[in-house]
Amino acid sequence: MSKLVLQARQLTKVFSSPSGPLEVLRGVDLEVAAGVSVSIRGASGSGKTTLLQLLGGLDVPDRGKVEVLDGDVMVSPARRLGKAQGFVFQNYQLMPELNALENVALAAKIAGKSDAQARQAAEELLQQVGLAERRTHLPAKLSGGECQRVALARALVNQPALLLADEPTGNLDERTAEEVMQLLLSLVAARGLALVLVTHSVEFASRTQQRYVLSGGVLVPA
Amino acid sequence: MVSILGVGLGVASLLVVQTVMNGFGEEHRLRIRESFGDCVIVGQRPLEQPEKLLQTLRADSAVSSATSYAEGPALLRQGDYSAVAAVRGIEVGDLHQPARNYVVLGAFDDLDDGRVILGLGLARQLRVRVGDHVELWSPAMAERAEKGKAPLPADFEVCAILRTGFTEVDDRAALIPLRRFQALWNLGPRAHGLILRLKDPAKAPDTADRLSIGRSGLRFVPWQELKKNFLEAIRFEKTMLFFLMFIITLVASFSIGSTLFSAVIRRTREVGVLVAMGAQRWQIIALFGLQGWLIGALGILLGFILTWLILFFREGILGAINHTFGDGDMVANIYQFSKVPLHYDAHDFIIAAAFTLLVTTLAGLVPALWAARRKPSEAMRDV
Ligand SMILES: Nc1ncnc2c1ncn2[C@@H]1O[C@H](COP(=O)(O)OP(=O)(O)OP(=O)(O)O)[C@@H](O)[C@H]1O
Ligand SMILES: [Mg+2]
Repeated sequence: MSKLVLQARQLTKVFSSPSGPLEVLRGVDLEVAAGVSVSIRGASGSGKTTLLQLLGGLDVPDRGKVEVLDGDVMVSPARRLGKAQGFVFQNYQLMPELNALENVALAAKIAGKSDAQARQAAEELLQQVGLAERRTHLPAKLSGGECQRVALARALVNQPALLLADEPTGNLDERTAEEVMQLLLSLVAARGLALVLVTHSVEFASRTQQRYVLSGGVLVPA
Repeated sequence: MVSILGVGLGVASLLVVQTVMNGFGEEHRLRIRESFGDCVIVGQRPLEQPEKLLQTLRADSAVSSATSYAEGPALLRQGDYSAVAAVRGIEVGDLHQPARNYVVLGAFDDLDDGRVILGLGLARQLRVRVGDHVELWSPAMAERAEKGKAPLPADFEVCAILRTGFTEVDDRAALIPLRRFQALWNLGPRAHGLILRLKDPAKAPDTADRLSIGRSGLRFVPWQELKKNFLEAIRFEKTMLFFLMFIITLVASFSIGSTLFSAVIRRTREVGVLVAMGAQRWQIIALFGLQGWLIGALGILLGFILTWLILFFREGILGAINHTFGDGDMVANIYQFSKVPLHYDAHDFIIAAAFTLLVTTLAGLVPALWAARRKPSEAMRDV
């Protein structure tokens, strides 16, 4: 078996709600090997975003543990965000005052690249997602599909080994969704990335190597 | 942009008020010194040999000039109008004579044995102008008069009119040459007191203390003591104003703070994204702190420019206000200054700048700290 990039054990997350504690996750186990794509489906409100945030280190589980690995070495939390791992959010989450190029370059700068390096890396990535000629547009002037492609470029600009994507096509029409998904999967394949993809679509899920459904707070192979 | 303007206006209002108040204070102090002298020397009885004392005092290194005077009430009359005047005998030709800068009509140097300088209020009471004549009776003349005969008045031509801004001076003062005073009041060579101009007027109390050593019969009164109540009122006014302005600035700073605050809060989602992309807390805090600092710095700059502009065009602005509210020339009527006086105090500027910078930086920092401490998962849920 090839090397693991992500290992989650017994993840539990409980939110308090007015009608008492809400157990969203009740012991999720997940292992993702290098270069392997994984899909997670589930009903709305089943906890997919919550799980992905725990996997991505954007939130801490109440119990259980997540490790991002590089070989056998655990990646420190500081290196993990933005560097070892890229994240594509459900609602693009671009900076509204920054144009496409600056949005991508920002991620590179946060990772410690110089202005010139960051700019060059961002130009390259925008080229790869097919937005080179729209690089000076603000997010408000871009379509949903274009925004998501910018977000994808941003997630990949620091050459992570793992990409986490939360319904990257959830807000797009069928044709655009297909385009974006194809782009995402081809980039992931070309770079040999590991992918955890949250999606509603059975069709998109079928293109990944390992398929799970989140239900009742645990992952069930589908 | 709006927050920079807000900071600028706050800083400008504080500085304009402080600078004008300082100007009034300085002007009042100068006026006191120029009307009364830097240090007044009086005795229990008239000075027997004023010349001798004058000479030793003039030799003192702290004294720039010294002059003797005598004073007493007299009855003045012009036609059917009469008034009681505080007559002062002064040394003619003394260039450092107090009040000489406040002549509004006529010429101070025209004063001679047949002429008198009147305060503006006194001249009005007597209905006289420069060139008119007034009659004067001193108490001594009544003693000298022959029994049963009314004493003959001395005749003076009004050669100048002065306005110091101090009502008790302007409504009563009549200046005549000391020689004439000594004759009319039977003083002989004696004088009632001396007036000193000092090289460093601010140190007048120390100098007065030092000079009084060994001269026990005399009282040395520095100008700060002369109009103590008045000066204290000014100082109190300034303190109160500073207090009020401080509160205004605080309110202004608070609104600036809340503007910045809500700007950062509105960015909570973006802060969450930044954290998710691996930005360190200190980077985020530095980003917003710097933004607040920058707004503060630009606002202060704008405030300084605004202050300068407002003060540069102060006459026009005041004229417009007077015109609109129809109060007439307030400054001239109440304060009797022809121009709004200014006194730039670097201290005020530094305090205002430091305080503003502190508030704006904190206003950027505090919410940034708060936003950066939230978990990105929660921050990104806010829309
Ligand atoms: N911070 C929170 N506080 C309280 N409840 C929360 C919080 N975050 C999520 N939840 C609840 O947890 C449950 C799972 O939310 P989550 O966003 O993970 O669902 P999801 O599967 O991603 O849904 P969707 O498909 O609509 O995106 C929901 O019922 C939600 O209301
Ligand atoms: Mg979700």
